[in-house]
Amino acid sequence: MISKLMAAGLSRRTFLKSTAITAVGASLPSMSLAAGEPIKIGFLAPLTGAVAAWGKPGLDGCQIWAERVNAAGGIELSDGKHPVEFVSYDNEYDPAKARTGATKMIREDGVSFIMMLGGDTWPGVQPVADKTGMLFSTLLPSDLSPDSTTLLAPAEVHPIYLVTGVDYLADTYPDAKTAVICAQDDALGLPSVATYLAAFEARGIEVLGEPLLFDPATTDFAPIVTRMLSSNPDIICLDTCYSDYVHPICEQLFQQGYAGKLISATADFYDQMIAKTSKEFMEGFIFQFPDFDDPALAGDNINFEDANGFYEAYAERHPGEWGAVSWEYASIMDLWKAAAEKAGSADPDAVMAAMKEGGTGKHAFGDAKWWGTELFGIDNALVGDWPVVVIENGKAVIKGFKSIPDWYDQHGDLLIKHMQTYNQMYDQRG
Amino acid sequence: MLDLLAQTGLNAIYAASYISLVAVGLVLIFGVMGVINFAHGELFMAGAYVVVAVYADMHLPFFIAVVVGLLFVGCLGLLMERALFRPLRDNPLGGLVASIGFLMILQALASMGFGVRMEFIPPVTQHVIWFTDSISIPLARVYVIVAAVLLLSALWYFLKRTRFGWALRASAQDPQAAELQGISIAQTARIAMFIGAGLAGIAGALTAPLVSVNPHMGHSVIVTAFIVIIVGGVGSLEGAIIASVVYAFVHTFVTTFYGGVIADITGLSLMLLVLIVKPTGLFGSADRA
Repeated sequence: MISKLMAAGLSRRTFLKSTAITAVGASLPSMSLAAGEPIKIGFLAPLTGAVAAWGKPGLDGCQIWAERVNAAGGIELSDGKHPVEFVSYDNEYDPAKARTGATKMIREDGVSFIMMLGGDTWPGVQPVADKTGMLFSTLLPSDLSPDSTTLLAPAEVHPIYLVTGVDYLADTYPDAKTAVICAQDDALGLPSVATYLAAFEARGIEVLGEPLLFDPATTDFAPIVTRMLSSNPDIICLDTCYSDYVHPICEQLFQQGYAGKLISATADFYDQMIAKTSKEFMEGFIFQFPDFDDPALAGDNINFEDANGFYEAYAERHPGEWGAVSWEYASIMDLWKAAAEKAGSADPDAVMAAMKEGGTGKHAFGDAKWWGTELFGIDNALVGDWPVVVIENGKAVIKGFKSIPDWYDQHGDLLIKHMQTYNQMYDQRG
Repeated sequence: MLDLLAQTGLNAIYAASYISLVAVGLVLIFGVMGVINFAHGELFMAGAYVVVAVYADMHLPFFIAVVVGLLFVGCLGLLMERALFRPLRDNPLGGLVASIGFLMILQALASMGFGVRMEFIPPVTQHVIWFTDSISIPLARVYVIVAAVLLLSALWYFLKRTRFGWALRASAQDPQAAELQGISIAQTARIAMFIGAGLAGIAGALTAPLVSVNPHMGHSVIVTAFIVIIVGGVGSLEGAIIASVVYAFVHTFVTTFYGGVIADITGLSLMLLVLIVKPTGLFGSADRA
């Protein structure tokens, strides 16, 4: 019998994993919900520490999302409507704490779905996902691999969307021909470096020297900025630096007299950067995350419900705290809600099947496809268009939406080459 | 190339300034109290948050915030001496563990009081001193350098030329003999804690507008301070200052010319090398102050 199953494509590893999942799953609390019982969603992200800016604002956004959904009656499953409730756990961007949080959420809280920032914390959680079959989401597709079939990247396609900003830069400033890159040496920085290298190479922009990788514990950025400026680049790329780094780096660039182009994955709290530098210095700063009061987000292509109203509610409740992730976890919940209602169930398998049905999905920035086999070994990233955002006269403005798959069709080989150099391909990651 | 060397040298002088303020405070506390204060980085953080509260939130002048930072964190030091270290005077390991507990309390208080996000502190001054087209130093960094020189000079004068300073040094060298000479060990401990904590507090306050102020900012500072005092010789104030300068120059130049990660490795290698060649550090024994 077993040999027949093997012959039918069931590997020994898959068989053992399935058996383990069944055994562990049998000991887990039932995920079936009583009528009207709240659906619990896990929010497992850094809420304190250096990476908190990419966790806490997301939880704040989810609370607004839940209030909106619950005010409209909740999520409609086959047995009626259920309110939604978020259960949060601060993983402090620590893999061990993330693992503890995931286990608690599944065993004690009975969550139906767990959202994560991902990155360095995912390896801690992966065994829990493998054993329980729980559906997880990450903001970082670079966490994806064929080994984890229940991990999805439905909102942010970091770092692949970064290519759109470089394309815009090259189109708008054709005279900018040289760049330097800096990044923190971690699971967010390295795949991002590889992506920027590919994007610059695709547009004929020379990267001067090796990208500068710094210790995430760095506090004084003057030496790093001095080194970057020593090669007199046209462009300085801040990669996917956390805002704790982007701000002091920009301040140093300003104080050391830099006057070239700036590009970065994020520019969270850019008003504070303007206050520390000047409106003129920050003019033309290219990044990837819009304020949701942007008129371009009221268009028909946008699948985030009432983006402008969401921003207004967020800004009123958390003034000055809007950041890159304020909307992302909420947009994942939009997809999850639609899939759960389609499946009539909050069961992780049923929701994932409904979410991926037809190979397409409604991403916040437009219809997109489940994609990624070449890069991640699995089509679990929802990829389509992504906005390019530029600071103009002190305000973030969407300059257009660019297609990531289109870029990849032309330059995918470059991306794979650089990902391999930095050991960031799915089959290279430990 | 000369411009790059000069700019890197200026960066290193700034780094040496704030590192030496923190490290000297740590050494002073160890020398007099015999306690390794793991919460010293959080005292640095507390000084930075005083600037957030007094300068950024209450809009009082920056230098008033800095003075408040020194006094507030100095008083935190007095609290630590009375509540933690004095009851555990005969138990150095207990004092160390207590300081770790206090570290966590300070982090939690900062998180509860100010939130977990990086705090925004308006620039104190945007004035930059330009030496050439490519060599410059922001005035806010000059403040740190000047403060370090003045404070450490004042500390040197206090320790070498005043009766309280002599008492402090005597307590550090031989507490029992000092007590027999009529020196109050409790009082010298209070003075050491106030000055040591205050130096960390003022370093945090002065650098607050230049770094990311968050509840965990003390971590990297304490790591650097430990490397410095091990290299300089645990208990040696002169060693701490010289090692701060050596470490800051090595780290800054390696960061600029080879990269930040290599600089960290170099700093740790420097410490290991010193431990192998001279286990007591470059400047002396563990019972000096």
